[in-house]
Amino acid sequence: MPTRTHCMKDLYQETFSSIEDIKAHFEAANYICSDQIATCVYIAYNLQKPVMVEGPAGVGKTELAKTTAEILGVPLVRLQCYEGLDEAKALYEWKYAKQLLYTQLLKDKLGELLEGSNNFTDSMEKIHDQEDLFFSENFLEPRPLYKALHQEHGCVLLIDEVDKSDHEFEAFLLEVLSDFQVSIPELGTIKAKIKPLVFLTSNNSREMSDALKRRCLHLYVPYPEEKLESRILSARVPELSDTLRREVVSFVQQIRELDLKKVPSISETIDWAKTLLLLHASELNSATVKQTLNVLLKFETDIEATGDHLRGFIEKAHQKSKINIGSKAG
Amino acid sequence: MQQVLEDFYKVVRASGVKISPSDSIETSRSVTLVGYQNRSILKHALTVSLAKSLDDQHLIDECFEQFFKFDAFQQPSANDVNYGGGADDLTGDSENNPEQAQQDSEPYQSDTPLTNMLLERDHNALAVEMQRAAQEVGLRDIWFFTQKSLYTQRIMQKMGLRDLQNEIRALSDGSGNCPSNVAQAGQLRDAKAWLFEEVKDFVEQQLGMYGKTSAKNLREQHLQKTKLSNIEKRDFHTMHDLVRKMAKRLSSMYSKKKKRENRGQLDFRKTLRSNVAYDGILFETYWKSRYIDKPKVLVLCDISGSVQAYSRFLLLFLYSLNDVLNRIDSYVFTGNLISVDEIFAHYPVEEAIDKIIDDHGMGGSDYGTMLLDLERQCMDTIDNKTTVLILGDARNNNLAPRSEVLELAYQRAKRIIWLNPEPENFWKTGDSVMLNYRPYCHLAKTCNTLDHLERLLDELLKAATATV
Repeated sequence: MPTRTHCMKDLYQETFSSIEDIKAHFEAANYICSDQIATCVYIAYNLQKPVMVEGPAGVGKTELAKTTAEILGVPLVRLQCYEGLDEAKALYEWKYAKQLLYTQLLKDKLGELLEGSNNFTDSMEKIHDQEDLFFSENFLEPRPLYKALHQEHGCVLLIDEVDKSDHEFEAFLLEVLSDFQVSIPELGTIKAKIKPLVFLTSNNSREMSDALKRRCLHLYVPYPEEKLESRILSARVPELSDTLRREVVSFVQQIRELDLKKVPSISETIDWAKTLLLLHASELNSATVKQTLNVLLKFETDIEATGDHLRGFIEKAHQKSKINIGSKAG
Repeated sequence: MQQVLEDFYKVVRASGVKISPSDSIETSRSVTLVGYQNRSILKHALTVSLAKSLDDQHLIDECFEQFFKFDAFQQPSANDVNYGGGADDLTGDSENNPEQAQQDSEPYQSDTPLTNMLLERDHNALAVEMQRAAQEVGLRDIWFFTQKSLYTQRIMQKMGLRDLQNEIRALSDGSGNCPSNVAQAGQLRDAKAWLFEEVKDFVEQQLGMYGKTSAKNLREQHLQKTKLSNIEKRDFHTMHDLVRKMAKRLSSMYSKKKKRENRGQLDFRKTLRSNVAYDGILFETYWKSRYIDKPKVLVLCDISGSVQAYSRFLLLFLYSLNDVLNRIDSYVFTGNLISVDEIFAHYPVEEAIDKIIDDHGMGGSDYGTMLLDLERQCMDTIDNKTTVLILGDARNNNLAPRSEVLELAYQRAKRIIWLNPEPENFWKTGDSVMLNYRPYCHLAKTCNTLDHLERLLDELLKAATATV
């Protein structure tokens, strides 16, 4: 009778029992997620579907997978994609050096084994009688995908920046993602012990094939709205004062409206908040912002482009922060 | 509920999102999992399961809001106040004092459910009834705006229009001159008119959802085959979308062919180098692979009055193909060659084209001067990787054709392709010098619709990727 492949759901039923539950767990792990993210994780987890996470760089795509692994208490297996990535680097590789070394060591043994055989056919048969030792798991170098399929207690598999990989590799992924099994010519088909929870991230540098998209849930993580960003910031940089946090968020939200080469995302906001904290800033002012703007913006042209707007942005951030305090007091 | 989901898929499909049968099965499973209790979670579940891109996501969000709106009969219309209370309504008292109105007159009782619903102003029951009728008459199959009144009538009939009409007739004719009956008949007439408006609105709304793409597709198909010079300005926007769509198709077809491995030819150097560690035994073998160069294109566009429209779309098409083209050098001319790369670098393509045509698109064309300019400015950049693409009608206003320059370019370039908007039998008429140029073109073809353009560019890319 064929053995049934278990899935993560069978093992961790308690952890992700409802969408609310997922949100609470993520929040406890300092990842503030929207309803959409929680719903997506809930469906992925229950229906064992991979999630294709898209969105601009730095909005927490990779972090989502990391946090999921952390909450479930399972290892995170990460496969970073790049141009030229192939099966040998993603799935498995034979340990050639070890094979060579063993053949050298076993040379004498081979002589003993073949003793007494009169012709080639005899010798061949004697060798065939031995197990195919050199192409067994002992000589196999497992790579991320193989490791993910072999985890005893399941895992979260993160296939990062899948858009950077080649078309050939994308086609190869199809088998892994739909059946959670791979074929190794020398060993046969290898099935997942526990189906992992898979996240694929993409920065949209190229269009992925329909076949791959069809197998995945599609999650687009946009830049967070003001309220969400403020919550994320208070979870990630709790030492930051309320006033400064509101100012930072308002300032960053305004900068995102400009036409920039690289719009700052949430990870840059966090870095900037940490920088301001380090400089003991109590509120935003022109001098501090100018000094630290390179943490937020990564291109010289972008920094120049914001130059004229800085004063206005800072003033607006101050006002917003005051209004918030007023409304809270009220 | 499965029917509701299927209708929703239909609406989403109509908006242009591709949903395969397996997608719909998976999505139904997701919906079963999250349930229908929470509207926003239902929306997220449908979006993450059905969408394949951000654009899809926006479309699905839009469809969801439209599809699950349920606002039929929720807005009181002007007619709404004129019926429903009783005879006293006519005096207007019941509006101010409905309770007294109820006590004063015995409410009219009817045998037909529709009449009762209208009189009781039971909007929810009416909405449910309308939905049921719509389902029975197959409103989800509506395609074109011409079907609106047909479906409105059918739905009204299914809801019991005939009975309502009979009742109105009976009330106004049958019982002599009883004033309360006459008033009742008047109210019912108002109610009928109101119902008709509501059903019409509903049908219109449904047409907006279900018939969204059918009309659009028809229009696009038509535009694809229309002569580019005949396309009106108001269709430019649609045309631009269409060009982008076609360019994307070509791009995805040819961007895959970048690298080709020549199996069977061992890369000795690489193999030996990496196998030194294994005592020279060839464990890892490397095969020779070759990168296929993206084509380099030099475009020369005539922008005199007669050819302007074609140039616009050729340039738009080429710049949408920048994924698969290594480099595009564009020049426009009526007489002298003018490089327009600078303008393209600073403005979005559509705007750039308008600007070029406004700035330079005057006067009759002079191909001879253009070719002399080509010799002076660009001949050095033309090499065996360059494809020269010329778009023009070759109407030279009886000036010298200078075909010897084209011959020189023909010897240097990989390919020279001439796209002429005129049909081939016009090439030898009037001041056309096309026949002088033709021998020095690898390909000279008529090109006056988007379909032609696509086919020719397809050929260009095919040649560029296949022959290396």
